[in-house]
Amino acid sequence: MARYLAKRVFYLLLTLFLIASITFFLMKLMPGTPLNNQAKLTKSQIQIIYEQYGLNKPVWQQYIDYMINAAHGNFGTSFQFSNQEVSYLIGSRIGPSATIGIQGMVLGVVLGIVTGSISAIRKNTWVDGTANIISILGLSVPSFVLAIVLQYYIGLKLQWLPVAGWGGFASTVLPSIALAASPFATTSRFVRTEMVDVLGSDYIELAKAKGMSRMGIVYHHALRNSLIPLVTVVGPLAVAIMTGSMVVENIFSIPGIGEQFVKSILTNDYPTIMGVTMLYSGLLVLVLLLTDIIYGIIDPRIRITGKGA
Amino acid sequence: MKLKTVIKLGSVALASTFILAACGSSNSSGKKTANIRESAELATMDQSKVTDVVGFTQLGNTEEGLYRIGKNNKIENAIATNTKVSDGGKTYTFTLRKGVKWSNGDEVTAKDFVYGWQRTVNPKTASQYAYIYSGIKNADKIASGKADYKTLGIKADGKYKLTVNLERPISYFKLLMGFPVFFPQNENAVNKYGSKYGTSASTTVYNGPYRMKGWTGSNLSWELVKNNTYWDKKNVKMDSLNWKVVKDAGTALNMYNSKKLDQTVLSSEQVKQYKSNKDYKKFLNASTFYIEFNQKKDKYFKNAKIREALSLAINRDQFVNKVLGDGSVAATGLTSAGLAKDAKTGKDFAKQVDVKSASEYNLKKAKTLMAEGLKEEGLKSIDFQLMSDDTTGAKQTTEFLQSAWEKIPNVKVSLSNIPFKNRLANSTAGKFDTVVTAWGADFSDPISFLQLFTSDNSQNNGKWSSKEYDNLINAANTTDASNTEKRWDDMVKAEQILLKDQGIAPLYQQGQSMLRRSNIKGIVYNSAGLNFDYKQMDVK
Repeated sequence: MARYLAKRVFYLLLTLFLIASITFFLMKLMPGTPLNNQAKLTKSQIQIIYEQYGLNKPVWQQYIDYMINAAHGNFGTSFQFSNQEVSYLIGSRIGPSATIGIQGMVLGVVLGIVTGSISAIRKNTWVDGTANIISILGLSVPSFVLAIVLQYYIGLKLQWLPVAGWGGFASTVLPSIALAASPFATTSRFVRTEMVDVLGSDYIELAKAKGMSRMGIVYHHALRNSLIPLVTVVGPLAVAIMTGSMVVENIFSIPGIGEQFVKSILTNDYPTIMGVTMLYSGLLVLVLLLTDIIYGIIDPRIRITGKGA
Repeated sequence: MKLKTVIKLGSVALASTFILAACGSSNSSGKKTANIRESAELATMDQSKVTDVVGFTQLGNTEEGLYRIGKNNKIENAIATNTKVSDGGKTYTFTLRKGVKWSNGDEVTAKDFVYGWQRTVNPKTASQYAYIYSGIKNADKIASGKADYKTLGIKADGKYKLTVNLERPISYFKLLMGFPVFFPQNENAVNKYGSKYGTSASTTVYNGPYRMKGWTGSNLSWELVKNNTYWDKKNVKMDSLNWKVVKDAGTALNMYNSKKLDQTVLSSEQVKQYKSNKDYKKFLNASTFYIEFNQKKDKYFKNAKIREALSLAINRDQFVNKVLGDGSVAATGLTSAGLAKDAKTGKDFAKQVDVKSASEYNLKKAKTLMAEGLKEEGLKSIDFQLMSDDTTGAKQTTEFLQSAWEKIPNVKVSLSNIPFKNRLANSTAGKFDTVVTAWGADFSDPISFLQLFTSDNSQNNGKWSSKEYDNLINAANTTDASNTEKRWDDMVKAEQILLKDQGIAPLYQQGQSMLRRSNIKGIVYNSAGLNFDYKQMDVK
């Protein structure tokens, strides 16, 4: 296991390095300058400012400089937020994004498991049908539409929760619900299918024959076995929620990281683009690694060893 | 068991939500306060680094320079109490107010102006607004590295006397002094906080009507609280202004309607809906959109008849009302309406220029002129591209222009909507046939627009050129600079030349529509420079 892990971590770092390199050069191919006031500056004025920021150096040299600094944990300072360190910018914005992301994820997955299980147990009844419709809606209605609807009715009309803004648990509820829709729908569909499968298998019949209660069967046998494959879905879902939160963050005016990313690209804020890209890709590869490890732990049949690999 | 736990936890969470929500609506009374929407983050509070409207607004209301610019661009003494102009308008001697304090307790003295100005022009600071110092002695030389920043034409004589030397008389010099880039800076604070200066509310010092609180450098809300050490605090009526960054216009409107905001800028869709609301207010910006014809790339654009024909085919009123609908108005010329008034007659510059042909709609005449122009150029038809940004508004603009122009026989137009930065790069490189360009004035003087179209100006993308125009602008900047009347006439004549020759086709002047509670009074608006001054704001 240790050898396997070491190998995976090595590949993880290699992946990150490649992503950083490709992003760096792609980013430099974008037209324009990071200067906000570009429209009013002449070429020579831009040149003078470039010299101060080291942007007049050849791109490969800028690349080497950046990589050396990044390896030392220095991700540079933002152009847009003058003198603001990228690590600080990202650090102060990841909290809100993570809060609504995790809350949305947990809410969606937990509700999804419950709904999916009930659907499977009450297969082909009105309960199943209703759950089905809700999940289809959850998948097909984009999170931003849901966000706007929630904001308008719950925030503005009923005034139960803040319309937008950040501060306190109340302000995280609507965005979390908006984000929960897609993981909820996916999880519930997935669990239903799995559980219908499991409930039809021989060992469930055996448990029934032994006289185990219906709830007992569902808890002890069906649910646990149908959750195993869910792990593979939750990983990518978590990543999708990270990127999907940009729009929701914007609508609820949350000081999150998604919006920062879009803005940094539009304004050629090179150090910020790099910082956020690395954060996103780092999280993605980490989630995938964790998924593999957890999968190995909960399902002994597919535990991977370093041998022969 | 497990399911029960989940349900329990869930109901606790839900219950606490409602309790917390109830807390959020409680309101402290007795203090004068208002919630104002900003649509983008605040990037910096460093006067030498600021580049955008958000930053200028915050600095203009928390810091102060020699003057404040009042209603209709009236110059009002702030830190300066007396101004003497000598040497044919090339030397300004300011007497400074005594006892003005920084928020760290230091006194604001002449030295702070010298320090702040030198810091901004120093190429090491990389200020994107250093160019606006051009005309102050040695500023250009310092910017290009040919002189030390300490040679800038500004000098402190003791604590309360400040002398500024110019290379040539600058008739709008006093207006510039109300712009945050020319405000003093506290050397102690800049040194103390180093690279952290101006990156958060607590690493900035203030000498203006308000002090900032709660800005961390990247968050979306902060407060301006009344500055109790401000010299003129008796005229500051508000206890605090809460700023909230809300990017989504729909969200902002919902917040306005639920009384979480007291002022919000409207999107053009919202304008249509709220035009007759009692809180609706409209402001014209000092920002003109116009079309440039690339005479260097396409020889036929050298023909004035072809340019005029294209301009005549545009129904500007229909465009601003039916297409844009955000409060923008049809432009009659280059210089924006409401920017500057004739000192003698009080007439608005844009009205005084008055070249009707440059912005009228006359499709019949357009067709005739185009036919004549094409004949003169020996062409059967023209086929060119119109370039603009890729925003929704820009796309609507180009589509409108395309259909307007293609009503003229033998004119074919293709569209190129690209990101702002690409458009800018292509404009500067001359890679376009026609382009929609926007220019916003930095200060309330027509020269801010007119200097764009001298033959050698790098912003003159279409390369329209006129000797007479160049001479007039040159005279306005040099020989006639201290003769207000003559200089004004030069500028009026220059713009008339540009428009009569249709060097550009003016399109529209940008408007800004907002909702603002009707009990809010006293906010001073000027179309250029610091747009909104909240110093004398009050709620009745």
